Amino acid sequence: MTGQKITIEYNDRIVRQFMLAAILWSVVAMLAGVFIASQLNFWQLNFQTSWLTFSRLRPLHTNAAIFAFVGNMMFAGIYYSTQRLAKARLASDFLSWLHFWGWQLIIVAAAITLPLGLTRGKEYAELIWPIDIAVATIWVVFAVNFFWTLARRHEKSLYVALWFYIATIITVAMLYIVNHLSVPTSLLHSYPVFGGVQDALVQWWYGHNAVAFFLTTPILGLMYYFLPKAAERPVYSYRLSVIHFWSLVFVYIWAGPHHLLNTALPNWLQLLGMTFSLMLWAPSWGGMLNGLLTLRGAWGRLRTDPVIKFFAAGVTFYGMATFEGPLLAIKSVNAVGHYTDWIIGHVHGGTLGWNGFMAAGMFYWLAPRLWNKPLYSSSLANLHFWIGLVGILLYVSAMWASGIAQGLMLSATTEGGTLLTYPNFLDTLNSIRPLMAMRIAGGALYLTGFGLLTYNLWRTIRGARPVNGRIEIYVEPPDADGKFGLGATFFNAPVIFSALGFVMACVWMFASGWLNILGLFGAILCVLLAVTHYQARAHHWGEWYDRLLLNTLPFTVLTFLAVAAGGLIQIIPMLTIDRRLQTEDRIAPLYTPLELAGRDIYVREGCYVCHSQMIRTLVPDVMRYGDYSRLGESIWDYPFQWGSKRTGPDLAREGGKYPNVWHYRHFEDPRAISPGSNMPAFPWLFKNDTGLGALPTKIRVQRLLGVPFPAWTPGMIDVLAKEQARQISTDLRTAGVYVSPDKEVVALIAYIQKLGKSDPAALPAAAK
Amino acid sequence: MNPPSSPSPDAQPEETKLRSHVYDGIQEYDHRLPNWWLFTMYGAIVFAVVYWFAHQVARLAPSDGEQVDAAMAQIQSAKMASSIDVNNDPGFWQMSRNPVFIEAGRATFNSTCASCHTAALTGAIGPNLVDRLWIHGGTPKEIYKTVSDGVPAKGMPAWGPVLGAKKVAETVAYILSYHKESEPIEVQVSWAPPGPAAK
Repeated sequence: MTGQKITIEYNDRIVRQFMLAAILWSVVAMLAGVFIASQLNFWQLNFQTSWLTFSRLRPLHTNAAIFAFVGNMMFAGIYYSTQRLAKARLASDFLSWLHFWGWQLIIVAAAITLPLGLTRGKEYAELIWPIDIAVATIWVVFAVNFFWTLARRHEKSLYVALWFYIATIITVAMLYIVNHLSVPTSLLHSYPVFGGVQDALVQWWYGHNAVAFFLTTPILGLMYYFLPKAAERPVYSYRLSVIHFWSLVFVYIWAGPHHLLNTALPNWLQLLGMTFSLMLWAPSWGGMLNGLLTLRGAWGRLRTDPVIKFFAAGVTFYGMATFEGPLLAIKSVNAVGHYTDWIIGHVHGGTLGWNGFMAAGMFYWLAPRLWNKPLYSSSLANLHFWIGLVGILLYVSAMWASGIAQGLMLSATTEGGTLLTYPNFLDTLNSIRPLMAMRIAGGALYLTGFGLLTYNLWRTIRGARPVNGRIEIYVEPPDADGKFGLGATFFNAPVIFSALGFVMACVWMFASGWLNILGLFGAILCVLLAVTHYQARAHHWGEWYDRLLLNTLPFTVLTFLAVAAGGLIQIIPMLTIDRRLQTEDRIAPLYTPLELAGRDIYVREGCYVCHSQMIRTLVPDVMRYGDYSRLGESIWDYPFQWGSKRTGPDLAREGGKYPNVWHYRHFEDPRAISPGSNMPAFPWLFKNDTGLGALPTKIRVQRLLGVPFPAWTPGMIDVLAKEQARQISTDLRTAGVYVSPDKEVVALIAYIQKLGKSDPAALPAAAK
Repeated sequence: MNPPSSPSPDAQPEETKLRSHVYDGIQEYDHRLPNWWLFTMYGAIVFAVVYWFAHQVARLAPSDGEQVDAAMAQIQSAKMASSIDVNNDPGFWQMSRNPVFIEAGRATFNSTCASCHTAALTGAIGPNLVDRLWIHGGTPKEIYKTVSDGVPAKGMPAWGPVLGAKKVAETVAYILSYHKESEPIEVQVSWAPPGPAAK
């Protein structure tokens, strides 16, 4: 050793903070989950209170689970492992501090705004724009802190865990920023810059990859650090890490459209969503294999060590969820499973089974090391494991049975296939009620497990003195040989073959005629050449990759290119094409001012949480709800409200189906109209006045976004809105209901009655 | 740092070697990728290529929308066929816009009626059926009656007893598919087949 010996003290304080925050928020998120699951069974549990209503609390539950629980847990694990893998203290104590308190402040802001109905109306992207900016800023703080630490590292080579962290940081930034692009209409409200199908595509590009790059890649990174540490075994296969990392980050992005199968989304995107989801199966299982096979030789400790138990079960759940995902992405399976509880079961297998168990394992492993005191009770941790496992199994099996049962009932026909067996949606809902109750029990057991964890760790920590890790290292002089320039990054066999193969495959997929043939043969040729070259010069590939691992920036750039490709190919064509060419054969008339106000109430109340507005190209959907939805019918929708779950029926063609008074009574007391419904009552809609004052700004912003509203003056907008409200109020009066035209329920009825009204599409020549 | 305690017996010797680099005490084997895993990956890629080719390039299957439209027409036709009312003119017009009905009617017409009326319905031995001129009445229920009961005096057989109500209704729907509900009906006294010169 030539260098100078120095001692590094890690910043483990920030790890402790994030870990404790994660435990606190885990209990909050799961408590919210159990509460809203109970509301689905007992509608009375909103206590006639707006901010306790399911549709407002469900976003709170999902955001808390994803960003508060898994977020804080991820930051704790990443900060702990990165310092050790880089052999460097976190670059800035201030940035770490800012990251922690900034993130907690965001969570508190979310917990206040979401129940108040302040929302953007897009799943996992509900937070209003000022909070969005804060999230993006704090994420950049995290990124700077992380990459700055890497820049100061003493361990030159990047371990596989760090690859996953890098992919997480850059991809989440990209997804979050693009999907949150909005134009504010006030301090608390904004419209997304994309509308209709564009918004749908961007949303699920984000939504799917939030699962991928917020709930999967960081946890895989944590697995690669904490699992071999806890098992005290070497990682099973380095080359499997390489292959599954790159294939995972490249393929994942493309699979977003599988959330929109059988909808009005153009078919080529549906095909990509389905086929890439199937291709994602192997890369995902690569991670599971590397985790499980690393445990070979440590299986004996499964009996005694709760940490190993949690990790083994967590990785197994990961394998289960990533098998179920591709299965659900097959169009015909999706036809049954989509919009049902099966999807709910699927995501909980991921978050509770995979993320939750990995988190628990990590906390039980970390706490004794961060406070230098043995775990208070190993048997209590074992009890947590068994209670949690029974809980999650109960949960997912209830949801499987419930989802498949309801899916089959909804598509069951009779009389030679000419009639629906269960024309009343409520028949299907009420047949799964016992399973929905079983879900509460499963969730409550899982929550109890985390209660045990909280108690166990509190007893461990109490009275213990926090300790920070230290390491003594020899600083070696910087080595200029390994540095990559542009040339070394891009001009080498693996990158050139991948890029060329990708271009050729795109030519094959999107060109026609002889170019199509050229693309196919070009792609095949690229693969053959790459294989031949690899067989002849394998050590070159290996050496290049070893050297790449010494270079953070080139590694990050290549990762970014791999994750950006899918989004570019799918989204750019949809954004650049004149939207009016894509209306199919129908186009929705513009919203009247009152309908727009009503629509914003619909978004505020979170109706999309339980009601879709998308009749799929499936016979049972068309038989139940009417002709399948066309793109032009949601073209003016900012944000789109196609929905992802049908706890209630689809509303795409609800307009005109029932008289105004039907809706009035239904909002007042759903069971008065639909016996057996589990929809809560919305009494505040009858008390609050519609905020017509905001309409001129809202309409101005929509004009800016390309909605061809006439150049109304604020006065005209007011007159138009009031006139329509007066008509509805008069109509209600003839039906025996007295309501002031100013009330929100009137605006909402105006919007509901507009749903599904459309004109034959004007030809493009007339459109632009 | 913990050296491997018991290398598994089935692994290849060069694979049980650990990579030289150690990260914070974590070591890595370099086992080869399991074959079944590789086949899963290759299989999915091949499937993706074939599936894309079948649906996007060759378009072997009709689009989702077309498939639903066809299925709904089938359901609609089954409903109408089970409740044929020979006196219901709007019902006939509805049938005449249903592709399943039209197709079935076309088949019956071509095998049974085209010999006299031609496959183009323009008439030869029997009268033209696509113009607005009708001898025995041009409303759907009148056409149905003509086909079903025939006009024996003029050589038009009674098809009702032979074909049954459903096939006759389909045939009428097929004829009506050449017409519009709103078009005027003009009365024609008799039909003279066009001579060779007129063609």
